[in-house]
Amino acid sequence: MELATLEQAKLIFEKGTELEIERISPSPCTLACPAGVNVKGYVSLIAEGRFVEALGVVRDRCPLPGVCGRVCNHPCESVCRRNNVDGAVSIRALKRFVADYAAELPPPLLPPKPFREERIAVVGSGPGGITAAYDLARAGFGVTLIESESKLGGMLRYGIPDYRLPPEVLDREIDALLGPSVQVRTNTVLGRDVGLDELLAKGHAAVFLAVGAMKSRRLGLHGEGEIQGVEDALAFLKRANEGDRTPCGERVLVIGGGSSAIDAARTALRLGARSADIVYRRSKEEMPAVEEEIRAAEAEGVGFRFLTAPNALKVENGRVVALECLEVRLGEPDASGRRRPIPVSGSEFTLRTDAVIASIGQEPNLPFLGSRYESSVDRSGCLIVSDETGLTRIGRVFAGGDAVTGPATVIEAIAAGHRAARAIQRLIEEGPDSLLRAFPAPAARWEVGLPDPSPDRHERAHAPELSLSERSGFEEVELAFTAEDAIDEASRCLRCGPCFECHTCVSTCPRRHVLVRSAATNGERIASIDLLLRTPREGTPAEARESEARGMLQVESDGKEDSPISVTVGLVKSRVDERLCRGCGRCIEVCAFRAPRLVPGKDQEPVSRIDPTLCRGCGLCVSVCSTGAAEIEPFSKNWILDSVTDASPDRKVGRSVVITCQRRGGCLAPAAEEPHDGVEIIRLSCVGQLEAGTILKLIHAGAEEVLVAGCAEDRCRFEHGAGIAADQVELARALLRICGIDPDRVRSDWSEGREGDPLILNDLVGAGGRS
Amino acid sequence: MIRLEELARRTKATLCLACGKCTGNCPLAELEHGHSPRRLVARALTDLETDGRILVRKCLTCGACEERCPEGVAFVDFVREVRALLPPEERASCPHHQVLMQATRLMASGGSARKRLEWLSEDLRVAEKGDVLLFVGCLPLFDAVYADLGIRSTDIARSAVRILNRLGIEPVVRAEEVCCGHDLLWAGDPESYRALAEKNAALFAETGAKTIVTACAECARTLALSYPETLKNFKYEVVHLATFLAGRLKELGIEQGTADAETTVTFQDPCRLSRHLGVVVDPRAVLEAIPGLRLEEMSLSAGNARCCGTSGFQHCDAESRRLQTIRIAEARATGAELLVTACPKCRIHFTCAQEEDARRARVDGREPMKRMRTEDLAVLVAEALEKAAAPAAAQGGE
Repeated sequence: MELATLEQAKLIFEKGTELEIERISPSPCTLACPAGVNVKGYVSLIAEGRFVEALGVVRDRCPLPGVCGRVCNHPCESVCRRNNVDGAVSIRALKRFVADYAAELPPPLLPPKPFREERIAVVGSGPGGITAAYDLARAGFGVTLIESESKLGGMLRYGIPDYRLPPEVLDREIDALLGPSVQVRTNTVLGRDVGLDELLAKGHAAVFLAVGAMKSRRLGLHGEGEIQGVEDALAFLKRANEGDRTPCGERVLVIGGGSSAIDAARTALRLGARSADIVYRRSKEEMPAVEEEIRAAEAEGVGFRFLTAPNALKVENGRVVALECLEVRLGEPDASGRRRPIPVSGSEFTLRTDAVIASIGQEPNLPFLGSRYESSVDRSGCLIVSDETGLTRIGRVFAGGDAVTGPATVIEAIAAGHRAARAIQRLIEEGPDSLLRAFPAPAARWEVGLPDPSPDRHERAHAPELSLSERSGFEEVELAFTAEDAIDEASRCLRCGPCFECHTCVSTCPRRHVLVRSAATNGERIASIDLLLRTPREGTPAEARESEARGMLQVESDGKEDSPISVTVGLVKSRVDERLCRGCGRCIEVCAFRAPRLVPGKDQEPVSRIDPTLCRGCGLCVSVCSTGAAEIEPFSKNWILDSVTDASPDRKVGRSVVITCQRRGGCLAPAAEEPHDGVEIIRLSCVGQLEAGTILKLIHAGAEEVLVAGCAEDRCRFEHGAGIAADQVELARALLRICGIDPDRVRSDWSEGREGDPLILNDLVGAGGRS
Repeated sequence: MIRLEELARRTKATLCLACGKCTGNCPLAELEHGHSPRRLVARALTDLETDGRILVRKCLTCGACEERCPEGVAFVDFVREVRALLPPEERASCPHHQVLMQATRLMASGGSARKRLEWLSEDLRVAEKGDVLLFVGCLPLFDAVYADLGIRSTDIARSAVRILNRLGIEPVVRAEEVCCGHDLLWAGDPESYRALAEKNAALFAETGAKTIVTACAECARTLALSYPETLKNFKYEVVHLATFLAGRLKELGIEQGTADAETTVTFQDPCRLSRHLGVVVDPRAVLEAIPGLRLEEMSLSAGNARCCGTSGFQHCDAESRRLQTIRIAEARATGAELLVTACPKCRIHFTCAQEEDARRARVDGREPMKRMRTEDLAVLVAEALEKAAAPAAAQGGE
């Protein structure tokens, strides 16, 4: 498949110190995440063993990684293209792993006090409210966080059972987000204890309503409110989450098919019920609950009755003793797109029960709107807002999360929190008209065929779980990956998208203007694996233009000091000169990504052509190419030698040349050392790009020693690279020996390349080197 | 431009009649429309920066054109010297990222502690000084670079020593030997070639040798023709092993031996031996003497032999591969089971082409072409000597 041009990343000038590279074509998983978490970014970092940095990437867009790592409905996994091979990457479980791994480490600091005049009120401390409060606090605002319950967390605390989300995890994550700028008022109900207008009048420049959808829908059965043993799922789960372990009944029926219904049924069993059955009016395929929750419920013994609707409650002595049901068949799809359940008349049957839990839907509870109710909500009772900003029909009042969408997911609420915080900030900085201006939109989807991955099929690894016999109480059921398993699972990621994050652009930039920022804990904004371009100290466009290093960076500016600079970063790809290629097929043999293939060339003889959408820029094909037809764009044919000799006027090389890969000694390396005097470090995307002829050229150009530091053979990101490099080093040594030159002037070092295994130059350079 | 014009005059390129006979003989012209020796000269003189240099690099310098040229234009010398005028990056297109060329350049500057005699086995007798010097060449380097082709070029060196020992000669074989410089010279790097030549000349002077024998046609050409041009007082008798043996067949006594069966062979004349040095009879005389071998000539043989497709390790492209494939097919057409070579590089190219065909056959899902066995002349002679020795020893014992 041909692209008209290779996709490029555009840089946006911001604050005069750093430029964050915005990806035009992020991966499908990143695009699918409502909150815009850089999924490819953090999964890649986990695969490199860089867990703390991975967590930094997550936290950039998701302030509750431990929560989402446990309960998110993972839209990313649904679009993961590994689905078409052998199963999606277990992204959610990977997120949980890094959240737990770095749990003890302090999160990014918050400002010690607000540095802006304005104060914002956030009502509701669920995921939406917490996210908005955090974003606004970091932006310098004072925040008043109002919560009706006694503890923070909303549905996270009161709706999700402890065996899915332990309260300690929730407490830890929320505590980390609330700094001195946030004034928390629990047990405060909007409308009862403080009015909406009051908030706006008394010192709050704007309000964000994240009150959720906490009003349960009624079954609509006769006597529902007065019968003992009949309650709604929210009330039931809240009691259990508050620590109440009173059994609710022996034979429990849960009406509904969503996550809350599943939670209620599993909780009922844990409270000692002999049976807990889900009664759902549609079929299993239509159940809104997440796959793994349904599986867990089945494993734990929850029963399922599909295509069944409740018809009437049978009562004795004021207590429910049975539920009369009707069979249901599915008709045409309704407004929601799901097939409409049509009761079958005359099909009544009875189920014995002593506890009925209704989980058939929720609505927002908005009494505080008063007379404004009619004009502010839609037919389902949810607040009407503008899509981009979350602004309601009430001036300076924003809303998001379940209060707007009806019951939805945690990650969507988090996204809404971000959206509102962004809009509120713009409102205050630029006035109400500024809200009419569009916000930067997420990038368009990038179409490409699914690459045929290497023949190694690794089945998906799921997170371990407690065995059934261990699941009696409310201990957490799902456990975390081990570090090894996390790395293995993360390594299944295909890194979709034109950018493979090889970071060659970072190391080729002579002034280190392009950087990969690792997770910082000094209060600076974490940009993690997205690239940053640091402008020269003086910040002049002319100097930035000097950074056009070796064709990778292109700088454009109109020459004015204040104008933003536009910088484009090229992509590293291999290309075959078809005039030189003779179709020997060596490139096809070494490519782990099936990028080259044979096509008819001149005279209809086969030549190799590399698909740029699949090429990862490792350069192994260039190394094994016998005719020199393959080359790496945008570099010159001799770029390795040129990089080393460019600096010196007589093109003589320094004392030691270290050739390493991004993982061992480059941007991906854990704490790689800065170069010593007289030591030149060349960072390739993979050392497999190096071959014996270039090593000999370096010796001939004056290098006293050439050191090749790569990853262990079974760890090479590009599969064959480490093996190729090892062979080439051996060949160079053999030839040097024959030629009468000390072969130990060429040495190699291979390692796992994980945290705690940095490239230590002292060990390699000089007489003490290993070989 | 002045150097180019002077070169054109010296090589008689200015006398070109544009008759086209050179093109008719050129193996590349058959395969690639637009390549021709006279066009090469014309473009080199008028357009060296663009068209000219491509033609100049592609030329195999096999000399087939010179066989036919009525004016006696020295195409081969012309190409060799024009290449030296090209910018350094353009000079050498040696594939495999110039690994062999870099190694030989390093030899010129490297120390003398060369570890290059490990191919010598216990039974072989060599000397530090003597009348006859065996120039081994880059065979040990080939063993390292082409290990995955499954051939050991140093077999040729062992065989050569064995043969010379049988003649009662302990040849001079020295670790200080460096590459003859052929590839660098023909790649347009005469400075590196000269450095190598001077090193070798100093060594030869020290050994007291009078005759230099080599089993590599490119080395033979270089030592016999290039060295006397470059070096003062280079007065040695330089011969290819085939020539050395052709004059000593009776002494060698291989005719006395018997063979188990008759093998039909054909012979690939190396360009540097047949055309550059004009040696075509000697290898045939040696082959005739080996019992059990029947020589069937390819239709293009001796002075008309088709180049193996690569010279000086500078060509590895599609045309080279096709030439190798065509030549192997021509060898097979004679009915021969064995293709005999007299240059280690020809053998490497034929073997590499067949390996690649096998690899491509796997990718394409077809049958590979039938393998043509190759062997060097020296190895065949040494094997025959083994068989000739055995009966004599047996007789002696009885």
